[in-house]
Amino acid sequence: MDIRKIKKLIEIIEESDIAEIEISEGEESVRISRYSSSTPAPVAIAAPAATPVSPPSPSSVADSSEQLPAGHIVKSPMVGTFYSAASPTATSPFVKVGQSVKEGETLCIIEAMKILNQIEADKSGVIKQILVENAQPVEYDQPLFIIE
Amino acid sequence: MPISDSQKKIVTILADGEFHSGTELADTLDISRSAICKQLNQLIEFGLQFNAVSGKGYRLESALQLLSDRLIKKHLSAAAQSLIAEMEIHHCIHSTNSYLVEKSRQTKKTAVVCFAEYQTAGKGRRGREWVSPFGSNIYLSILYQFQQGPAAISGLSLAVGVAVIRALKDCGVEGVGLKWPNDIFWQGKKLAGILIEVSGESSGPCSAVVGLGLNLYLPKEKAKSITQDWVDLSQILIGHPVKIRNRLAATLLNHLMPIIANFEQDTLLSYLEEWRKYDCMKGRDVQIFIGQQTFSGTVKGIDDNGLLLLTDERGNVRAFSSGEVSFSKT
Repeated sequence: MDIRKIKKLIEIIEESDIAEIEISEGEESVRISRYSSSTPAPVAIAAPAATPVSPPSPSSVADSSEQLPAGHIVKSPMVGTFYSAASPTATSPFVKVGQSVKEGETLCIIEAMKILNQIEADKSGVIKQILVENAQPVEYDQPLFIIE
Repeated sequence: MPISDSQKKIVTILADGEFHSGTELADTLDISRSAICKQLNQLIEFGLQFNAVSGKGYRLESALQLLSDRLIKKHLSAAAQSLIAEMEIHHCIHSTNSYLVEKSRQTKKTAVVCFAEYQTAGKGRRGREWVSPFGSNIYLSILYQFQQGPAAISGLSLAVGVAVIRALKDCGVEGVGLKWPNDIFWQGKKLAGILIEVSGESSGPCSAVVGLGLNLYLPKEKAKSITQDWVDLSQILIGHPVKIRNRLAATLLNHLMPIIANFEQDTLLSYLEEWRKYDCMKGRDVQIFIGQQTFSGTVKGIDDNGLLLLTDERGNVRAFSSGEVSFSKT
């Protein structure tokens, strides 16, 4: 396969939130993964899927975090799916904008490979903004909440 | 409603599956026969089924082997035993997982094991109900405190699936497989489910509660609310699986405990090959639901991080870390 083609592919993947892609051409095939599979690095949980609609690509996440209002940013410690409430039938989410939270209080759940991770507030304060919608895929280090 | 002492005594007497007269029960418990009736009705609410035959008395539709601390420990390996700080057996609990999640906030102990005969609010993923009638299945949760943060144990769910398959094979259950990431399947039907809940700081330490629901004998009446194809061990094994209930409980711990306790060092890499051997989705057409989105494709397998690989109709492979997977109807 043409090296330029592979380089182009890597660029495309970097701009999207695809975790891994494998392309076959004749007898040749190339697999490009965002993450090293030789060492199970803590961040090695890849993106849930490419979202053709409006993927929060790494660059756009970085841009938007620059525009975020001032305050303490709670970021996602992993790739997964964001849930704002304990269950789909729960009457209210864990937290709402304007609500005071104490350090250690559960803010949301992020699910990855059927492990439900309760994300706690690492700082006490008032929830100024919630940056993610319920059931939305999230990236590693993606800002989730702003606490002031 | 918690189970009363009288109800516990009645269940213990009837566990043998033989007939016991109302008079015998009333005498043993030193309460009236009508009180016995009332207690039996309550037990029906908990998921027990009785035959009542005039002249003979009452009999459980299916014999029980109640969970026993002594019998479980008898079958427990020294390795598993050494990893368990505390083992609790509850007659009735809301949910073994919820109980240990609450407990994890108050204790540094690890590991804490919790079994229950009956769950009033047994749960599956995302608030789904896990049907948990009294006395005939396994409802088990294990609290384990890890040194590192949640990211370090990201493949634990798959390793736990491998542990459960090993335990089932040890008890003579063949033909079981894994549906990503860790549902236990037999001939396309769900036999057991695993739910892991993690809390703690992002950078660690964190506590994980690993929950397992395994069907041994599920009365049809109680299974009505289950919306997917299910199976229990009584349909798979020759001979009543309830007879090996305590041994099975111990065997599960014998396989689960070392895998959980060593996971931070061993990582998922140690279990990948075995997981792939049990993969019952490979080559199947599936749909994955994430929030409002749906993806279709053919399962290629799992990558080395435990992510599900799906090949779409154009031949592109994508890796998924979460989502609801269902087999496409053929």
